[in-house]
Amino acid sequence: MFFRTKNIKLSPIKQMELLASKIPDVVSLAQGIPSFDTPEIIKKAALKALNRGVVAKYSLTYGLPELRETIEQKLAEDGMHYDFEKEIIVTAGSIEAITATLLTVIQPPEAKSHRVKNEVILFSPSYASYPEAIKAAGGRPVFANLIEENNWQIDFKNLIKKINSRTAAIIICNPNNPTGAIFPKDDLLKIAEAAWKKKIFIICDEVYKDFVYDSTAMGAPDVQKLKFFSLAQIPELRKIIIRVFSLSKVYAMTGWRIGFLHSDEENVSEIVKIHDSLVTCAPVISQYAAIGALDFADKEVGTFRTKYQERRDLICRHLDDLPNVFSYQKPSGSYFVFPKILKLKNSLRFALNLLERTRVAVVPGIAFGPSGEGHIRMSFGRSEKDINEAMKRIKDYFVSVDGSKGKASNL
Amino acid sequence: MNNFFKLIIQFFLKWCAKIYLWQIKPHIIVVAGTTGRHWIKEAAAEALKEKNFPVRTNRKNFNAEIGLPLSILDLPSGEGSFRRWLNVLYRAAGMVFRPNAPILKQFLVLEMAVDRPEGINYLLSIVKPNTLILTTVTMIYAENFENLDEIALEYKKLIKALRWNGLAILNFDDQRIKSLAAFSDKRVISCGFSGEADFQVKNIKKVSDGQEIKLQIYPSNQIRLIKTHRFGKHHVYAILVKEIIKESFQISAPDFFKQIRTEP
Repeated sequence: MFFRTKNIKLSPIKQMELLASKIPDVVSLAQGIPSFDTPEIIKKAALKALNRGVVAKYSLTYGLPELRETIEQKLAEDGMHYDFEKEIIVTAGSIEAITATLLTVIQPPEAKSHRVKNEVILFSPSYASYPEAIKAAGGRPVFANLIEENNWQIDFKNLIKKINSRTAAIIICNPNNPTGAIFPKDDLLKIAEAAWKKKIFIICDEVYKDFVYDSTAMGAPDVQKLKFFSLAQIPELRKIIIRVFSLSKVYAMTGWRIGFLHSDEENVSEIVKIHDSLVTCAPVISQYAAIGALDFADKEVGTFRTKYQERRDLICRHLDDLPNVFSYQKPSGSYFVFPKILKLKNSLRFALNLLERTRVAVVPGIAFGPSGEGHIRMSFGRSEKDINEAMKRIKDYFVSVDGSKGKASNL
Repeated sequence: MNNFFKLIIQFFLKWCAKIYLWQIKPHIIVVAGTTGRHWIKEAAAEALKEKNFPVRTNRKNFNAEIGLPLSILDLPSGEGSFRRWLNVLYRAAGMVFRPNAPILKQFLVLEMAVDRPEGINYLLSIVKPNTLILTTVTMIYAENFENLDEIALEYKKLIKALRWNGLAILNFDDQRIKSLAAFSDKRVISCGFSGEADFQVKNIKKVSDGQEIKLQIYPSNQIRLIKTHRFGKHHVYAILVKEIIKESFQISAPDFFKQIRTEP
């Protein structure tokens, strides 16, 4: 009866949150929500717009021109040049941007076009909602491996094998969710070269680009060169690059549902048709809040970054205390750590048991693709108090069942 | 920040900015219009820098009642903090009342934003333009106005406020801006795609890494080919303004400032 949705699953992240919400005194490191409230200066911008009486009506489908102008200026600061009038769409968060893009670029067999392009390559592990968004758009997710031993970098041999005439797009989440790894410039250019030859779109999801902690991770040992590289900085690639960004994480605005995408006019003029049919426009009050964020909240972003770096170091110290339970790669960006569960493969069982026995919610690694199996994702976007409490419970549990160091097999 | 404190800040900053301007006598370029101000402002500043003129522009969107004097004084905002605002006011007073302050010879390129009728009067009570650049009149921030003509009337006041040797640079592709030319008794240079513009775009070609623009300057009929690495029509206007500024300020910086210091 429900042909399109029968193979689509509710994101396991949300499933874990749902289960966790039913358990009293639970500590959740599952969902990637910042512990901070939206900065005051952003709330003030929204209130000001509300009081001016300008938020009750739809905006233009592309978004408020003044917001798009601000976005253009912000992009230019990062070396990306896009026309606010024709090349930027304000969206209801990044997932709407991704879904609208996928609906635009995927050509399923039933489309009866001369060439079927229904495969979308995504890295395994990467963000759990990508496969479902691809399926919702009538496409087929194809996983390309990341190599854990190489700090979750790209397995190019595997990636090249997955590219074929049916490939419509490659999704790159950089910094990667859930691993926190950052793909260096050279690797991104290699992907771009392969995509350019085969006329494949690259969807760059860079929602964590402001939370980068190590310059060396970007192939930039010199601190002066600490600048996040995006393929959207290369003007010659603009026809194949569709970059999405969200204000949710960087400005602690997950509930405002606001983000944007940008690409060459040729692509954006098509994506906007889908965006229009999905949401008409992004929430207008959130668009005004976004102007406040982009114009005035740089200082707050700096504070968040410092805090997250401290929390990353904190959660890593806790993990170091459990050497017989977990091994992990220290994340260079984002606010997730993705430890491997030693001596146990079934991450879903591990996460469910952990929730039941310690009242700590984490996301099973299998949610992020086949290579994620045997891992769990922990968010250090939560407060120090939550991180300490969650890790204390986990440590206490393993110590109580198996002496000082514990073993994962006890779960 | 409550309204009373806001009024005190506004009043104090206004007078500090006025005294500061009286002391340093900069050449003021005002960029106004409802869209495209940022890139025009950047283009004007770039043109002056290329000619080695000292130049300063607004910080971010500091372009209204409090932001404009902060831009003139080159001070940050106190945002929502009472203590930070006190510090801003202290620094503003220091800039104005310090003995033997160095006289900075410079251009100030300032954006001006108007969001309600008569709003421009307050800004003009702080600063009057030597050069005025008008971009467009559109519906952005128009909720307090009856119609677009009412916004244009605000810009008419800016044209009227130009100094005796002032220059107005007008976008002739916007009919309301174009019609303001009739109210100027100062020098007007027009630009745009319009066949009547002095700096006229003849052709634009989008290339992989930007845009190539062919423009013709009247009455000399001079043709210029310019490339920009930015995309969009608004950057074409920015280029036109840059060329006009380069053309209009031909003399050296010391000679220029000597000249404006002796003006009546």
